[in-house]
Amino acid sequence: MTFVHPWALLAAAGAALVVMALHFIARRRPRAVPFPTARFVPARSVRAPSRSTRPTDLPLLLLRVLALLLAGAAFALPALEAERRPLARVVAVDLSASGRSARAARDSAASYLRSGDLLVVFDSAARSIARDARDSLAELGASRAPGSLSAALAAATRAASTLSERADSVELVLVSPLAAEEWDAATGAIRSLWRGGVHLVATERAEESAARGSTRPSVEESSELEDDPVRVAAALMHDSTARAGVRIVRGAPGAADSAWAREAGHVLVHWPATAPDDWPRRESPDTVGAVVAGGAVLVADFARTVAPPAGGGLVVARWLDGAPAATETTLGEGCLRDVAVSFPVRGDLALRESARRFISALAAPCGGARDLAPLGESRRAVLGGGEQRHHSRALTPGERSESRVTPWLLSAAALLLLVELLLRRNRTPGEPEGAA
Amino acid sequence: MEGDLGPYGSLLDALRGVVWPARRHVRGAVSGTHRSPLRGVSPEFTEYRPYRQGDDPRRLDWKLLARTDRASVRVTNDRSTLGTVIALDASASMAFPHPSLDKWVQACRVAMGLAAVALAAGDAVGIIVATASGARASLPRARRSVLEEAARLLGETEPAGAEPLVPALGVAGAKHEFRLAIISDFLGDGDDLLALARQRASAGGEVYAVHIVAREELEPRGAAILATDPEAPEIRRPLAAATREEYQRAFAVWREELAHGCRAAGAVYTEVPTDEAAERAVRRVTSAGSGSLLRGGEQ
Repeated sequence: MTFVHPWALLAAAGAALVVMALHFIARRRPRAVPFPTARFVPARSVRAPSRSTRPTDLPLLLLRVLALLLAGAAFALPALEAERRPLARVVAVDLSASGRSARAARDSAASYLRSGDLLVVFDSAARSIARDARDSLAELGASRAPGSLSAALAAATRAASTLSERADSVELVLVSPLAAEEWDAATGAIRSLWRGGVHLVATERAEESAARGSTRPSVEESSELEDDPVRVAAALMHDSTARAGVRIVRGAPGAADSAWAREAGHVLVHWPATAPDDWPRRESPDTVGAVVAGGAVLVADFARTVAPPAGGGLVVARWLDGAPAATETTLGEGCLRDVAVSFPVRGDLALRESARRFISALAAPCGGARDLAPLGESRRAVLGGGEQRHHSRALTPGERSESRVTPWLLSAAALLLLVELLLRRNRTPGEPEGAA
Repeated sequence: MEGDLGPYGSLLDALRGVVWPARRHVRGAVSGTHRSPLRGVSPEFTEYRPYRQGDDPRRLDWKLLARTDRASVRVTNDRSTLGTVIALDASASMAFPHPSLDKWVQACRVAMGLAAVALAAGDAVGIIVATASGARASLPRARRSVLEEAARLLGETEPAGAEPLVPALGVAGAKHEFRLAIISDFLGDGDDLLALARQRASAGGEVYAVHIVAREELEPRGAAILATDPEAPEIRRPLAAATREEYQRAFAVWREELAHGCRAAGAVYTEVPTDEAAERAVRRVTSAGSGSLLRGGEQ
């Protein structure tokens, strides 16, 4: 048991000492002595301070000291915490699609996990596992989402605060392929919250061949428009060969398209030139000035009449006001993207570089554009930091398991003070009184 | 001294030769040591005056008649005795400090000393003690046994209660022409005693106020106490270092006022602390009144 505010205990002990001292220099009624000329003594309080070698009013003294100590203990907030150990670990294991083998990642993480350590599992999101981390680890599967070091670091920092109660130092072990795509703009800032070094354990990254985007998609031949701007824009993309894994359908996708999209790595982009009837209509059609997909921003006057079908899919493009413009739904081992962007027929939009980048973003592999290149050395250095361990006191205090005795202690102190009051009131008037 | 005088023997021995002259002429029938306003037959010569018809021929100075052939009468001052009543306050306030009761002891010694001095001059001496059970008195007599009776009376008396002294004087029939010595701490009926002194002095009597004060009352020391008036238990006040000085100041003022009041009433006031030798105190009392109304050495 420890105390959140140990100074309260010290203050209570000091107050108890003062009370004890006062009981030694108690104000008491002096001995009554016949004194014929008493009438000439000035009339004052009949109590006078006197020192004594023994404390006066022992029961009162005990009650007061006990009440003070109990109140001090209550205000000190006793907290129950586990036995501290020198080092605890937070093992963050990356099971995202950025890694080649989830099993290898699990094995690496298991070699670092000890009893009492925390496990943080992450892909694009992270969650911490405190209990039976080793057993839980064995049951975890690979994720199709890309990894996010920011999410991992944030979760690890948060989880480490709970370890500060049990360990003097906390070490963060990051088991990850450390792909470039896992680093985002916030990673550096979040990393700075962890004041110690991070032990990096690099695992194998996923293969890049199937991941690289930015290839020219194939646009279906059945387009009803002769001068389909999407086709034009796609045709102007630099890659001379159409990518076999991406198909843009400007009409209604057929069964063959769906079957094709179910194959691994295939991306079927359903980008109807005319909004299908089953897509949700906007209550009030309007225009919007831009649409964003990945890092590509396409600025034009877009007429907005429908929204992509709501199915809980991943939003891959948004309008300027944040409304979804395109969503992605997993289809077998591939995916289907519904794009509700009405590409203007007139104008030179299709000829712009931004249009090509926008189409390229929509044609990115399932789950978004991937960059499985290894993390740069400078970023690895930032991520790894120094050798020192994170001292637990530097962590944000987490929730302590505060003892339930605090209200009881306060109640007991109040009860003792009540008893003390009654005892004092019930004294006979002539009885010497202590430090009252 | 003769008889069983208990603890007062040495005191009375030390007081041999001490006189307690009257402050005024004493008109009395019995020849004593105090001057009388009457011309009498005492051996103390004053003057001659011519013989007048009706004078006692035995008072003629025959030798002077033979020498001068003129009939002259020898005139002498008469001497008389003065009855003395010694009144003792035996209230509870005199039983202080415990357990030595120095105030009471000192009062008894002074009373015995004064009685012995008066008795040695041939004066009749009576003792009045105001006790809790009432006034006890030995009637004024000039016999030697008076001292033994007084010693026995004082020995049997234990100071207690709050019996006033003035009524006891009335009970004992202390006459106005008697010399009255009041030995008290004047804490009880001090005002009544002053009134009595004033009354007696105006009637030509002599009053001696002997104020017995304990040293512990004058200079209280030691730890703080809750001073309780033995005659008024409701008066309970803490006497500590903080209040000691103020107490001493108030007590001194009261003593000063008492002394002034006594003197204004025509009484002879003498303050006798308990640590003063009784012999010396008696000498101070007896000499305090001399020469105030009569010329020094004229007794």
